[in-house]
Amino acid sequence: MSVPSLKRIRQVPRHLLVCEKGHARHPRSRHAAHVWDHAYNCRVSFLIPECGLLPEVLKSTIADFGEYYLVRNLSVHELVSHEFIDAFVKKGSCYALTYNTKIDQDNTAALLPNGKLILSVDKDTYEELGLQGRPSQYSGKKAMRYAITIDLTDSSFHPDSKKHNRVLWALKDKKPLEFDILLAWYHTGAEESTVMSYFSKHQIQALKPKITFSTIRDLQCPVLDSNELEGKPEESCSTEELFEWLGAVWNQVSLDNKSSSFLSTYCCPQPNTVVEKAFLCTITGFIIPEKITQLLEQLCCYFGEPKLAYWLTLTVHGFADSPVSWRESEHGFHKGGENLYNFVIFRNLDYWLQMAVGSYDDCPP
Amino acid sequence: VGAALPVDVLTYEEKTVSAILRVISSGLVRLWSALTLLGFYQNRRCAFRVLQTSPFLLALAGNSRDLVL
Repeated sequence: MSVPSLKRIRQVPRHLLVCEKGHARHPRSRHAAHVWDHAYNCRVSFLIPECGLLPEVLKSTIADFGEYYLVRNLSVHELVSHEFIDAFVKKGSCYALTYNTKIDQDNTAALLPNGKLILSVDKDTYEELGLQGRPSQYSGKKAMRYAITIDLTDSSFHPDSKKHNRVLWALKDKKPLEFDILLAWYHTGAEESTVMSYFSKHQIQALKPKITFSTIRDLQCPVLDSNELEGKPEESCSTEELFEWLGAVWNQVSLDNKSSSFLSTYCCPQPNTVVEKAFLCTITGFIIPEKITQLLEQLCCYFGEPKLAYWLTLTVHGFADSPVSWRESEHGFHKGGENLYNFVIFRNLDYWLQMAVGSYDDCPP
Repeated sequence: VGAALPVDVLTYEEKTVSAILRVISSGLVRLWSALTLLGFYQNRRCAFRVLQTSPFLLALAGNSRDLVL
């Protein structure tokens, strides 16, 4: 076997785990900004050690996560119509993402709350559409995938402009694109959500995020020191060890294997303590940053009263098939489409924020 | 692969006949290839399907491709 082939067998797919430390009440803390920048979230989960019963205020925050919508067979040109832009895009934060499309195989569309519509399309669709875009960063030498960004709130995108007419013609007549689309709209106005009535001629479902609660007994938890990100031997665990431990807990991996075990050598990092109980909550659906920010704030307020727990965690998974991860950074699916982040909030409101991405992603901000 | 390249079976669920395996990053391709090529076990036909891979165990806890609405 040739040497280049042997090298390829041992090649490690690129991935990044970045960690930042801050204080939730510091005026220049960027914890909320990172949440806002990550638009498409499919799973939010939190773990509170030494907690058997969730406080009422957290229960009501979770219950208030609101609805999202699934619109079947929606043509993309309806998202660039000025009725839609005036009704939703300009009057709040409108999020949309194609459902059941694979970013590495299919055409995908997403609408960001800043009014930018992003289409991630294959080469044939790009050529048929005839709209200006750029080749995907992860397409390789021969561009097989393109990204088209249309700013719906741009002043040059008014109803009678050439730009608007061309986009509408491309999406309506030249190459109609139709998807099942997940939609969420956050607005502060007093009017009731009108999404259902606006899309009444389509097959639209209003959905609530799925919520599950559980409690784990006698859980081994790593000892952490908010000032020691890399851990200190015999005193505290590192951020990487915490991140892997959290993965073990959420995947129900046994934490007390011995190194001589035939099946698995994974065990809880040292030093650790055993907590009598820990509360776990998982919320899945199409979850918007506004709701995650409210939950994060309430989790920070959890330590407003004396608590046994030294820290708690909030983990957010992004959609594997979203065309963007943080802000407008292109996101792709190589061997996985991971784009997730995790907060560890300490009793003194120091926090660690870990952001993880896979091969086809830029470094998180 | 199991002898030359240590592999941890982190979880196994009988109901779904699925498991989470852990291997050193440089061994991913060899392990995946071995699973793909394994067609028989104790004279019984079998096939392995890789559902999700990630360098982060935490990423396996949530897969948007499993979101069924």
